[in-house]
Amino acid sequence: MHIPDNYLSPETCAVMGAVMVPVLAVSVKKVKEEISKARMPQLGIGAAFVFLIMMFNIPVPGGTSVHVTGAVLLAALLGPYSAVICLTTALLLQALLFGDGGILALGANTFNMAFVMPFVGYFVYKLIRGRMRSEKGALVGLAIGSYVGLNVSVLFTSLELGLQPLLFHTAAGQPLYCPYPLSITLPAMLIPHLTVAGIAEALFTVAVFSFIKRVSPGMVFEGEQESRGTGPVMGLVVALVCLSPLGLLATGAAWGEWGAGEISEVVTDGEALGFVPLGMQEGFQFEALLPDYSFSGLPEVAGYILSAVIGAALLVIVFRIVASLVRDKSAKNGAHNATQSE
Amino acid sequence: MAVPEWLLESQDFAPPVDKDGFINRSILSFMRLLSLVRAQERRGGGLGRLAVNPFFGVLCTLVLIVLVSLSTQLTFVYVVLAYLLVLLCVMPVRDLIATLRISLAVALITALIMLPSFLLGNHYSIIVVPLKVLVTVMAVNILARSAEWGRIITALRRFHVPHLFIFILDITLKYLVMLGEFTLTMLTALKLRSVGKNRSKQTALAGIAGTLFITSREMAEEQYQAMECRGFDGEYKLYDKFRFGLADAVYLLLNVGIVAAFVYLY
Repeated sequence: MHIPDNYLSPETCAVMGAVMVPVLAVSVKKVKEEISKARMPQLGIGAAFVFLIMMFNIPVPGGTSVHVTGAVLLAALLGPYSAVICLTTALLLQALLFGDGGILALGANTFNMAFVMPFVGYFVYKLIRGRMRSEKGALVGLAIGSYVGLNVSVLFTSLELGLQPLLFHTAAGQPLYCPYPLSITLPAMLIPHLTVAGIAEALFTVAVFSFIKRVSPGMVFEGEQESRGTGPVMGLVVALVCLSPLGLLATGAAWGEWGAGEISEVVTDGEALGFVPLGMQEGFQFEALLPDYSFSGLPEVAGYILSAVIGAALLVIVFRIVASLVRDKSAKNGAHNATQSE
Repeated sequence: MAVPEWLLESQDFAPPVDKDGFINRSILSFMRLLSLVRAQERRGGGLGRLAVNPFFGVLCTLVLIVLVSLSTQLTFVYVVLAYLLVLLCVMPVRDLIATLRISLAVALITALIMLPSFLLGNHYSIIVVPLKVLVTVMAVNILARSAEWGRIITALRRFHVPHLFIFILDITLKYLVMLGEFTLTMLTALKLRSVGKNRSKQTALAGIAGTLFITSREMAEEQYQAMECRGFDGEYKLYDKFRFGLADAVYLLLNVGIVAAFVYLY
């Protein structure tokens, strides 16, 4: 799971590092609200705990053993924001002093293991725990949460690795960093984690959690007040923005989104269309502000991310304005009804 | 008093063999961790007069790694390799062997990973990527083995890493040893007490991890109380004297040379 340096391009590392800056800033702010400043040393001790948990070898069928990450366990025990800080600290020490994982790749490694894994795992855990309000529900939630958290994190790792040959290659087409495309990295990384490591992680997480709950129940993080916050939705939007360069994978235009210059090459039943329909030829040509999501002077990936940020932000703004209008209207109606009933 | 007869009977007890490879591997990784931390504690001043200010160490290693990663010129990677080998020459032999062993091992694993791609006709990755990995791992290991870790962490302060974060890193490093020793004791006990078949070994491993967490929380509470008793109010200030010696000048000069080589070959 720890990506070494030179498997990812410096550009990828920079993007992932930039994503982690706001994540860390929000986490520090949240943790300061949750625990007093003077109690901060416990984060350091939490980091030491998770560092050591990563060194445990767990037996799996077949006589071998695998390492666990303990990220979702930590999120369930200390809360997701504390987990982000503890895991980032542990990963930084591993990269800088123990040579485990790259220094440049630290951004990507922390994104996968210190952000995606604890947050996805904790979200699933909380969702299931909320639906099944029992001791068993918490354990089922934790098992599924740690399994899903680990595998989503592995998915991101294999996406980062698999995109390298596509985005960064020599003029002759030889890949500069990880040479394997998504069709290899996805199954190669996901299959072992979906079948063996994920189950080992889930079993270990549940066993340790239930031990702590039994022996010292007061030590488990109870979580903030249940609220229908927009956190998960915003998280999803950010994730999709980061994933937007995947659009580069698609060659040509999306089906039905052909431009006038592209439609003549559309193949139907093995035959190209060969002409531009008259209506398209003479019709209205809309010049978008962001043609084909590219900007001159910016690399294609950055252009994609920039387009995605602008698009997502515009959509959020439009929805917020519409929502506020609807709210105003219903408030007015409510007031109107109230006066009528008097 | 007569010795009871059953005590004189010779017994032939051969406990059935059980799979406990995972305990052995866990014990080994904890021992490796502790020996690494202890080795750097003993280092003290490190190379004495040859020791470089850790700030320059961290800065130059970072620049070096970025340049290696950016470079598409094999010649540049060889230049960096030559430079790192010269640095290795002045290191204590124990650190020299350890650095070489770990960097060669990681490079070899990378070469194995790249092998299928080579068979598919990609001749670039099989040479360049393992070589770059070798150089990077070597550079980081030289940094980690050339100074006391506490000083490397303090050096991060000059990169505007917040005080709070450095404080957390410091505490992590200290408690890594205390909690590591504690876990090692528990793992050893589990191994020694499991004579013959012990089906509950896996469960016991979860107990060890759970006890580790509870102990860490107790230690955190004690640490907090001890610090508060001594007047800690949440503000953590670092004071370190910045020094610049002959070794630093030579080291910086070598690194300027590396940057120049990068620009020249680019």
